[in-house]
Amino acid sequence: MTSSGATDARKGGADARLRVRLYVAGRSPNSLAAIGTLRAVIAEFPAQGIAFKLIDVLQTPERALEADVFITPMLVRVEPPPERRILGNLSDRKTLLGVLGLEEANHG
Amino acid sequence: MPSGIAGFDQIAAGGLPRQGVTVVQGRAGVGKTIFGMQVLPSGLLDCSEPGILVAFEESAERILENVSSFIWGSGALLQQGITRLDAQLSQSVEQGGEFDLIGLLAIVTAKAKQTGAKRVVFDGLDVLLGYLTNPAHVRREVFRLREWVHGSGLSAIVTSKTVRAEDQAAADYDFLQFMADCVVTLHHRISQGIALRFLRVAKYRGAAHSSNESPITITSEGIEVAASALSEVAYPASSERVSTGVARLDAMLSGGYYRGSSILITGAPGTAKTSLATAFAEASAARGERTLYLSFDESPAQIVRNVASVGIHLEPFIASGVLSILSRHGRAENPEAHVAHLRALVRASQPLNIVIDPLSALAQRGCEVEAEVAALHVLDLAKSAGITIVCTSLLGTSQPLVEQTELAISTIADTWMHVSYVSQGGERNRAITIVKARGTGHSNQVRELVLASDGITLAGVYAVGGDVLMGTLRWEKENEARRTKAAVESRAALFEQKAEFAPAETDAQLEALARARAIQQAELRQLKAIAAAEVSLHTVEADQLLQLRRADEGPTVPPRPRYESEPTR
Repeated sequence: MTSSGATDARKGGADARLRVRLYVAGRSPNSLAAIGTLRAVIAEFPAQGIAFKLIDVLQTPERALEADVFITPMLVRVEPPPERRILGNLSDRKTLLGVLGLEEANHG
Repeated sequence: MPSGIAGFDQIAAGGLPRQGVTVVQGRAGVGKTIFGMQVLPSGLLDCSEPGILVAFEESAERILENVSSFIWGSGALLQQGITRLDAQLSQSVEQGGEFDLIGLLAIVTAKAKQTGAKRVVFDGLDVLLGYLTNPAHVRREVFRLREWVHGSGLSAIVTSKTVRAEDQAAADYDFLQFMADCVVTLHHRISQGIALRFLRVAKYRGAAHSSNESPITITSEGIEVAASALSEVAYPASSERVSTGVARLDAMLSGGYYRGSSILITGAPGTAKTSLATAFAEASAARGERTLYLSFDESPAQIVRNVASVGIHLEPFIASGVLSILSRHGRAENPEAHVAHLRALVRASQPLNIVIDPLSALAQRGCEVEAEVAALHVLDLAKSAGITIVCTSLLGTSQPLVEQTELAISTIADTWMHVSYVSQGGERNRAITIVKARGTGHSNQVRELVLASDGITLAGVYAVGGDVLMGTLRWEKENEARRTKAAVESRAALFEQKAEFAPAETDAQLEALARARAIQQAELRQLKAIAAAEVSLHTVEADQLLQLRRADEGPTVPPRPRYESEPTR
């Protein structure tokens, strides 16, 4: 991970179909794992144009408070509505893909 | 750190560990959240320490709503001084792997910096930890929390549910206990439909604490720990006497009860315990002293009416507000709740005297020990405040649990009087015995208690063959005594009269003798005169005779005539 603080890591631009925010706590193992997994998935599904924003609550706790995020890592799917959330380091691939609306079949 | 929980600081080394972790454990509904929430406003009010509430189970909003019925739970105070963090995970949040508390603690740290908070409550941490599937991770997060607390300068209260009973809690998150600086366990049990709540300080690192189980109550003031301050007996001792309301009983007790002492009146039903208790209440109120009468048997109106028949009139004192009679159902609540209620009343009205009629109402089947402890707390409450307390209690019934309570109370009561029925000569009469009266010379004799329309009194003592006579037998004895007294009196009057007249009689005799003597002396003088006259006559006659004879042989003196009556000289 190269970003620190609230880092815009847009991959799909403003008109992206899928917009997510990942709230993490610094470089803790769970945070790093979540970031790694999410990046891998984004890379895996380039066609989806997933836009993702990384928020480090150690740097900007108020951003987490605004979103009612207290436990990290937390992935919030902002678009498309309704908002959906995944708690944890995203090691559960099935849940991650389910929440993001991605089909395993799309891949490969 | 003062906890704000009445009585808690006494059993827990003066309060909660500052900059430490206190874990509050217990099953659902035992008052864990209340415990935590009571600490926050206390911090605000007593120490000007703002607080943070991190809610994992219910929403912070709901928690505040739930505690708003407590006097410290008033909206404005909590809204302003307590930062609310709703960290509960909604149902829509899906779990996709392991997580940690790093982010949460960072947020709390930021909030604490912003608000200057010193106290933080993590309510329902078990709910969050329940999402962690790996026990090792649970342990890791708990230790993370502790490290964070120790480094943050905050004092943390962590509440956590246990599924099992308190004594088996070790299996659930036992490491929560290991890592905590202080562990408070709460539990309750239902006995005869009445909830009994307890608190125990299971652990307090580096501090002396009582690890006894203490009864607690939840009142409008929140959790109240019935601290066993009894471990230290240091009450003020007054030598002032207050009337029992029965003049002759005062006399028996060398002037009455000691002010600030505790008095236990035991007896079977109908033995006039209430009458004795109300007599005390009346006398106290008549001195203008605020008096609280707590009845578990009868309604205030009933009491007033009933004791009026024995010449005890409470209405004017109730009207003037100096006497308050309150009635409660003994079985309505657990024993300690009654103590808490009484404590609140005492705080509110600051009475000088309390009557509890009967204290044995606290004793309910299934919570004998609690009743005993509660009764001790009642006496302790009164004594530490210097309040004179009169408790009545059933005794001599076939209820072992009542007896048990009595045993405990009677040992710490200062004065213990027992009223019983005595069957004698085909009658049942009330007999009163002063079983003990600390620091008081008291009659050890059984006395008859007489209830009359003009009041209560004790009858005189007529002991015959080791028994004190009562009722009709006493009346007969009294009559007999009256007769005897009359006889003795009349005899005494006779003697008195005799004594009065005897000197006069003697005087009269003396006078008569003196008169006789005077007469004798007069006669004597007369005889002397006669004798003298005769002598001189005789001498003249002799001279004349000589002259007539012209005798030259000289004058001769004829022998003097002798009179038998003339005294020899």
